[in-house]
Amino acid sequence: MKRLIGLIIILTITLGVAYYVSQNLTPQKSLHPLGKFYLKNSYFGDYSAKSPEAVTSIVWDYRGLDTLFETAVFFIAIIGSLTLFRLSKEQSEEAKQGEPKRELPEPVCAVTKIIVAMILAVSASIALHGQLTPGGGFQGGSALAVAPLLIIAAYSKYALEKNGLDKTRAIIIRSIGLLGIALTALTPLLVKGYFMQNQPIFPGKALGAPLGGSLVYYNLFEYLAVGAGFTAVFLLLSIPEEKFRKFLGVKQ
Amino acid sequence: MISLLWSVTIVSLIVTLIISVYGIAAKPNLVKKLIALTIFGDTANVLVVLLGYRVIYPVKPPILPVWKESALQSFLNTAVDPLPQALVLTAVVIGMAVNILIAFAIIQIYRIYGTLDVREAGRFLPNLLRRGE
Repeated sequence: MKRLIGLIIILTITLGVAYYVSQNLTPQKSLHPLGKFYLKNSYFGDYSAKSPEAVTSIVWDYRGLDTLFETAVFFIAIIGSLTLFRLSKEQSEEAKQGEPKRELPEPVCAVTKIIVAMILAVSASIALHGQLTPGGGFQGGSALAVAPLLIIAAYSKYALEKNGLDKTRAIIIRSIGLLGIALTALTPLLVKGYFMQNQPIFPGKALGAPLGGSLVYYNLFEYLAVGAGFTAVFLLLSIPEEKFRKFLGVKQ
Repeated sequence: MISLLWSVTIVSLIVTLIISVYGIAAKPNLVKKLIALTIFGDTANVLVVLLGYRVIYPVKPPILPVWKESALQSFLNTAVDPLPQALVLTAVVIGMAVNILIAFAIIQIYRIYGTLDVREAGRFLPNLLRRGE
């Protein structure tokens, strides 16, 4: 009852303030000039990114440096997580010892197999069509990371590791992705362009498919980096609690 | 009516921000602090997206539907601002990575100290520092 009164007071105050504010508030109907510039120039215009998707062209072209540093923040956050849970060589070998077994009933596992395949296809589509439709490397990578998570839930993490996707491989894939981003950003310097320049160095179209210049490469590499980075983290999180307490030397 | 709904949206988001800041400061449990932090981050993201929204009908996503220069004007009249969306897009994934880092730290604190309460965990810390001298 006491909580309910607090809730009602908050609701009343919110609605009252909202009513008071609404008398002098006109909802926003026009575009900001900067937004208009991006919408105009995304596909046509002198500063074109050759991509009809304005959001992706901002993320990887107009504001590419911002995204590069945000990727650096992502990189450091994942490295920090891996460092907090670091294991010695013997310990990580011991963490891999276990039987891949079905932890959930048969129908759940069968459905998981189908859904994992679908998630892989959908996440690749999100990432590789990022220059045409809503989506891109970040979203595709986050969707990709759901697939190993589902396998861990339905089959346990040993199934994933027995099939070749262990923590080291995930970190290697992630490093390949980050290296690809860095190399794509440095490529324009070879032909006397600017750092992270898109047009006219990268081809806007290939075989009739619009690529958006460098956007498709950035999206592909970011997809790998985000997906594999989260996979490595999930693999570490799924180490059983008893094993980890043994490694740390704390009692139950 | 529309301006009332618009202001209800904005004010309720700001109230959510205030409540989540209260949660971060006042709750002693680390997991509850993390939950409040994620609510804070998501609300901030929604507020930023709201900055670029246009209260018109019809309103379209910032993707060029027809690749002709003649279609550009009607596109400009209906599309929302792409810049806040682009800023939020990266912020969501970065926020998730930073949340994972905090979650890892909380799990490790629980394993070592056996408690999630900051008042109890704080009592262990001076002993730990003294031992290292």
